[in-house]
Amino acid sequence: MDRHQCQEMAGVGFQRWVRTLSKGKISGISGLLPACRSASGVSKDMLPGKYNIRVEDYKPIADNGEGYGDYPQLPDRSQQDRDPAYQWDHPDLRRNWNEPMHWDFDMFIRNRVDTSPTVVPWSTMCKQLFGFVGFMLFMFYLGDKFPAYQPVGPKQFPYNNLHLERGGSPDVEPEEVKNYEI
Amino acid sequence: MADYREAPLATRPKTLDPNEYFNLSPDYRRAEAERAALRAGLKRQYQLQLNNPHRKELIEDPALNRWVYARANPYNHFKATKKTSLLGALFGVAPLFILYYVFKTDRVRSFNWMCAGLWVC
Repeated sequence: MDRHQCQEMAGVGFQRWVRTLSKGKISGISGLLPACRSASGVSKDMLPGKYNIRVEDYKPIADNGEGYGDYPQLPDRSQQDRDPAYQWDHPDLRRNWNEPMHWDFDMFIRNRVDTSPTVVPWSTMCKQLFGFVGFMLFMFYLGDKFPAYQPVGPKQFPYNNLHLERGGSPDVEPEEVKNYEI
Repeated sequence: MADYREAPLATRPKTLDPNEYFNLSPDYRRAEAERAALRAGLKRQYQLQLNNPHRKELIEDPALNRWVYARANPYNHFKATKKTSLLGALFGVAPLFILYYVFKTDRVRSFNWMCAGLWVC
């Protein structure tokens, strides 16, 4: 295969790119970058080509001034949700080259937020977790309110209740203290 | 698993999606075929670049560039709406006043305690 054949990019994406540039009044790289919704010259039907999505699939993120521009709204699914057996171009990210990225792509990587189907229903998980934690909290509260321990009495000391150590003078005879009973 | 219920952070697996088994309309199939064609085109471009023996540079990913640009330049499309103003006030303005009040009150109270001899460290 000679060099010219290798460098030919006759894929669908390249044709769309050429069409986008030739139709609109935008030039060069700015025609490919995300832009304002009402950008001059760029008509609505060129945006899906720019982003490599079908025309029917293209839907811009709801505009409430938060600065999304004309970036498309893709399904909110994490990368962990994608097929592990398919041969991705980037297997750790489970993404193909030039595939449109979700706005929150860095949130949906496999180390972070995961939207894949759960084994147990959400309600069951909530009930189990909060049930256990609530039960433990309640039991600890009861244990604090009603303490239960071995019977104890005041501590007993030798040498007449430590007469000398407590500062009593060695001349004075301490009173006899009997802490035992035989 | 016929009673599988979806949740906000738990999607429905493809094998339990009724569209896979009951939606046999030509429109749906055509849509899926178009999506597959797009994917195949992109795969082909990537493979051509990847296996090109004369390639000396990195393969540039336009979708990544677009994403990075979009995430780095939101203020070009920023508009002061009710929601954005509320968020700005909540995260930018209110903490200043709240934290000032909290720190000042705490400092003053502990200083008074120390002067009165009540502060036990």
